[in-house]
Amino acid sequence: MILEAEKLIKAFGGLRAVDGVSLEIEEKELSAIIGTNGAGKTTLFNLLTGGSKCDSGRVIFNGEDITTLHPYEICQKGIGRSFQVTNIFPRLNTFENIQVAVLSAQGMSKKLFSPSRKMAQEETSEILESVGLSDQKDVLGSLLAHGDRRRLDIGIALAIHPELLLLDEPTAGMSPKESLEITELIQKLARERGLPLVFIEHDMNIVFSISEKVRVMHQGRIIFEGKPEEVKANDEVQEIYLGEKV
Amino acid sequence: MKEFFKGITGINRVWLAVVFSVFLVLPFILSPSWLSITTEILILSVAACGLNLLIGYCGRVNFGPAGLYGVGAYATGLLLEKTGIPFAVAMIGGPVIAGIIALPVGWFCVRRTSHYFALLSLAFGQIIWAAIHSWYSFTGGDDGIAGIRTPDFLMSIPSYYYFTLVIFAICLVVLWMICNSTFGKTLQAIRENPHRVEFIGINVRKYLLIAFIIHGFFLGAAGSLYCGFSHAIFPVYASFLKGNDILIPCILGGIYNFIGPVVGVTVYIFLSKVISAYTMYWLLFLGIVIVLVVLFLRGGIVGFISEKLSPAMQRRGVSGDTRG
Repeated sequence: MILEAEKLIKAFGGLRAVDGVSLEIEEKELSAIIGTNGAGKTTLFNLLTGGSKCDSGRVIFNGEDITTLHPYEICQKGIGRSFQVTNIFPRLNTFENIQVAVLSAQGMSKKLFSPSRKMAQEETSEILESVGLSDQKDVLGSLLAHGDRRRLDIGIALAIHPELLLLDEPTAGMSPKESLEITELIQKLARERGLPLVFIEHDMNIVFSISEKVRVMHQGRIIFEGKPEEVKANDEVQEIYLGEKV
Repeated sequence: MKEFFKGITGINRVWLAVVFSVFLVLPFILSPSWLSITTEILILSVAACGLNLLIGYCGRVNFGPAGLYGVGAYATGLLLEKTGIPFAVAMIGGPVIAGIIALPVGWFCVRRTSHYFALLSLAFGQIIWAAIHSWYSFTGGDDGIAGIRTPDFLMSIPSYYYFTLVIFAICLVVLWMICNSTFGKTLQAIRENPHRVEFIGINVRKYLLIAFIIHGFFLGAAGSLYCGFSHAIFPVYASFLKGNDILIPCILGGIYNFIGPVVGVTVYIFLSKVISAYTMYWLLFLGIVIVLVVLFLRGGIVGFISEKLSPAMQRRGVSGDTRG
């Protein structure tokens, strides 16, 4: 087990966005979190990565309590994430977007007198290659097409050498073709790198086609956890998430 | 070090050589008064480039840069006047003390973003000015201290010009190396998206604080140079108005370009001297120029030029933009 969360609670005013969530993420897990809008999925990711502080509960990563750590410390421990709304460096080019993350992972960011021009070339190129952006390395982040920006976001998360990768709706706003490409990318990352990967997703085709495990969130709780076929067959999930029995 | 300069391609090297040669022969061409103005341009350029590390590379505006500039000037002036230590030590002491003062100031400022950062920095600038202005027994208060001695070989205008030119060159090379380092690249990422940077394992506040101290050092260096240039220290060096002389050129020249502030300072000083020779309302004209630049040249003068030239330069394989 690489990550364990115990009874996480996060309330915004009177609303409990995350209400007593416990979960365990296994080594080499490729799983999805599904749930309606406002179910608390992104808030859960924020709690796991330090983006917001939980009101109570604990997060254990690799046997270490990371509940109160800052995002940069959690990232240094090895949790990488991408964001629901694309989160890149708009006026840096694609190469530099990845490079700053690689430099950080290599502990090179602090060097005042090491020229960035020549640093981390190989590893940056390799990550650009794996997210399929090699041919656009000189293009500014802000000028990339939406789908490519989503890839770049994933690439940045990948560049920090994560031991666990959390992707928040990686296919949001994408065309079916782009979604398919991202799905393949996620599978490739999980298989080739043996990287535990958890993603939030709305597209059920993607969820059921690639994830080994699905967690269903509703009103701040995980109401079901199991294999895709079990989720499909569960009455409660169908009623809450899909609206009606099918 | 060599690695850094491999990035400067052929035509830029030629340009640098030409510009530096012109600077070297200026004392033989210019009248003493214009040479003094050029010295002032070099000094202010060091301050503006230091400030631009924060504005252009970190996306944070220090609205009270004259505070740390004043600290540099006063540190050097007071060291020379009260301790009698060698001139060289006092010149190094100025920026070092400004850097030390920048530490607590920056510690507070980096805890806030955008407007709040700017307002805090302005408040600290004003506190420094008020301290200098009110502390009669130590700083000379309103009267300042005049008649500060520099070594005899620096007493003439051309010799101080050359001295300033050397310090200017050293400061710009060091700043240029920092801006193009992995640290500088990380600062640019912070400028672009501080929230995201936290999630690649960077402690944003710590990096901004280091940048703040470095910018304080260079503001202090400029203040020290000006102290030696004017042989005096006055509270006005740390005033809000002096801050404008450092801040406005950054915007005028272009903040996303390393050399932008130098061009900005040159244009700013030139306009102020030339227009003020004809009318006392020169600030009115300067105001109009700034309005036009902000409205129509968002990247400043250098940003505009490099934008227009970049297609041509790209064809020749030259990178005109030092944004990245």
